[in-house]
Amino acid sequence: MSSRVVVSGIGLVTSLGCDVEAFWDALLAGRCGTGPVRSFDTSAYPVHVGGEVADFDPASVPTRLDRATLGRTTLFALSAARRALADAGLDPQRLDPLRAGVAMGTTSGEPREVERFNDRFVAGDLAGLGPELATAYPCAGIPARVAADLGFAGPNLMVPNACAAGNFAAAHAMDALRRGEADLMLAGGADSFSRITYTGFARLGAIAPERCQPFDRNRRGMIPAEGAAVLVLETAESARRRGARIYAELLGFGASCDAHHITASSPDGEGPARAMRAALVHAGLAPERVDYVSAHGTGTPTNDRCEAMAIARVFGDRAGRLPVSSAKSMLGHAMGAASAIEAAICALAIHTGRIPPTAHFETPDPECPLDCVPNEAREARVEVAMNNACGFGGTNASLLLGRAPA
Amino acid sequence: MSDRCVVTGRGLVSALGHDPGAVHDALCEGRGGLAPVELFDATALTRPVAGEVKGFEPRRHLGERNLRPLDRTSRLVTVAAQLALDDAGSTPAGRAEAEVGLVLGTVYGSVRTIAEFDRRALTAGPSYASPMDFANTVINAPAGQAAIWHGLRGVSSTVSTGAASGLQAIAAGAALVAAGRAEALLAGGAEELAFESFLAMERAGLLALVAPDPVPFECPARGFLPGEGAGLLMLEPESAVARRGARPLAEVRGCGTGFDPSLGSDSGSARAAAERAIRAALVAGQTRSDELGGLLVGASGAAADEALAAALAGALGPAAASLPVAAPKASLGETLGADGGLQAVLAVESLLRGRLPGIRGFEPREGFALSGAGAAPQPLVHPCLLLLSGSADGHAAAVLLARPR
Repeated sequence: MSSRVVVSGIGLVTSLGCDVEAFWDALLAGRCGTGPVRSFDTSAYPVHVGGEVADFDPASVPTRLDRATLGRTTLFALSAARRALADAGLDPQRLDPLRAGVAMGTTSGEPREVERFNDRFVAGDLAGLGPELATAYPCAGIPARVAADLGFAGPNLMVPNACAAGNFAAAHAMDALRRGEADLMLAGGADSFSRITYTGFARLGAIAPERCQPFDRNRRGMIPAEGAAVLVLETAESARRRGARIYAELLGFGASCDAHHITASSPDGEGPARAMRAALVHAGLAPERVDYVSAHGTGTPTNDRCEAMAIARVFGDRAGRLPVSSAKSMLGHAMGAASAIEAAICALAIHTGRIPPTAHFETPDPECPLDCVPNEAREARVEVAMNNACGFGGTNASLLLGRAPA
Repeated sequence: MSDRCVVTGRGLVSALGHDPGAVHDALCEGRGGLAPVELFDATALTRPVAGEVKGFEPRRHLGERNLRPLDRTSRLVTVAAQLALDDAGSTPAGRAEAEVGLVLGTVYGSVRTIAEFDRRALTAGPSYASPMDFANTVINAPAGQAAIWHGLRGVSSTVSTGAASGLQAIAAGAALVAAGRAEALLAGGAEELAFESFLAMERAGLLALVAPDPVPFECPARGFLPGEGAGLLMLEPESAVARRGARPLAEVRGCGTGFDPSLGSDSGSARAAAERAIRAALVAGQTRSDELGGLLVGASGAAADEALAAALAGALGPAAASLPVAAPKASLGETLGADGGLQAVLAVESLLRGRLPGIRGFEPREGFALSGAGAAPQPLVHPCLLLLSGSADGHAAAVLLARPR
């Protein structure tokens, strides 16, 4: 017995705001959420842009928990979770706690706890080193604290699968619902901007100096960002019973590993293509059924070239006609939150019949022969959307979403 | 299509060695693996004693390829994977043909690498931080490095649920295999000993800071000592194993998880979460408590041990009082993310030998719910073991491993 699983709520914390409607309008308008880094001094770096969530006020996040134990990533996750429940019209207190769970993804968890530890350690202040790396740092604390705050005792786990983590979290939640282990799951991803991540991508030479231009011939890299997205997932029966608005249905999930290089993309697109095909097999769909692909689309020269190859492997002749866009052109790369935000984008594209553009597109790249929906949003009936994600460690994950059953 | 998930290989790296039989022997003899820390400068620690993997020589298992990109956690995982793949008869050529995946549980993953990367940038400037080290700062880097090393092209997923991570990973991996969504995968966990996490655990008041070494389930609880290691099982669908005429080592009969939204602050709520995990595993495995032959429990000497014991008593009823109990952390330390994988490898070994190790240093006492527990090894009356892990901050997982039917 396997239930159909639908998306009935969306909660966001992004560089383009936290309100779903305003976010969607901004994205469709091609607005850009990246700008000069404000959270630390970048004067020693060759680049200075980031996709920070400006003006995020931790005190504005309602919580029953001790705020001293909540890092920035956890606060993002909590905020997105509460927004998602409100968007779904659900009061957490009225849900059966044993039947409600949380699955979250992240790349780095709470990296600022490591920074805090090191600031003291390097200053020789050993006595000042606290318990935070044992209490606030371990990434399992993110879904645990979201659930503790909401009183949810259902399935709970963290899948720290780098930039593919959000898709993995959605897949775990979908499986738990289909197996009947829960009636409602919150699934998403969260990450916070850190000097560690920024330093790393700067050292890899991967950060674009000004703008993120996925699939453009002159693209110069990605832009590190932060944020969170949480989806409310429930069975179609449950959503229908309570008359909920349904954005989309989760249709399938596929994962693979390049087993090639820890940071570089699969050179011929073979790894991501296997994840896409596995998702289609899981959903029982032919590639022709896919109307829109939300690309991993980081804007680095190799990622976009390899992803275009992967899309060509799976979609053949249709690859050049299929709309494929990258929200990272506007949001930057929100790491473990990225594929969760992009899963929300797929759900919104299906629900509203509009596809967000790839911003900053100027010059076509013969190595990326895709319809990347350049600069202008497009009206289209999206029956099935594919959300692609690839992460460090060569891990690939594709999620399929579709129009909800009538 | 639903299939049975069976175990066809196992590999472990632990403070008591890398051979499942030898580690099983050591535990049966009551040998301990806790010793003074040699891995890093431990002068800032009050009691630097841990279950460290001493004399770890990855080259002995991995050959002459370049090990530099692999940090310690990655090496622990990659060696355990090599041992498990060899045990299962998996070859590089075979892995080029058919996908093998990896589902890995860990708590800290890469904490030492991330801390060192950041310190280098802090002290020498960002342009001196190593891009290669950055690749290893992500929490899933050990799974990724092991996948690259061994050509594991199937699902690559890291799961983290505190000390329950390893059993959670086995539950997640077994579900994919049973559902026909993975042809073969390695599942288990890994954790490294690191100065940063060790000191933080001390500052959090979690450690046993005075001798003697902590004993699981002791009363009053005095805290634990950290450990490290890796343990992985090769999981495959029974039908595929039967088709090639191979014989599985064991069967993953059922798995269950539970979560305590009090995050361990309410012992009744923590017990209830572990009970839910146990009951779910028994239901999934269509197994009654009187069909169990023994228990492996992730008890470490921490206050949370009590909830695990109470949960076993609650979920198993009278059977809990008669079953033999193993608690490998007595000898290996609190191995966190590695615990479930280590438990699982030792459980398979116990099923093969029909004998379960006891709990090092444990003295039976009046009123303790698990009255079958003792320091000595005991024979298994039934070839079915229940494994249970729980973390102090809310997560619990249980797995049933049995001799193949």
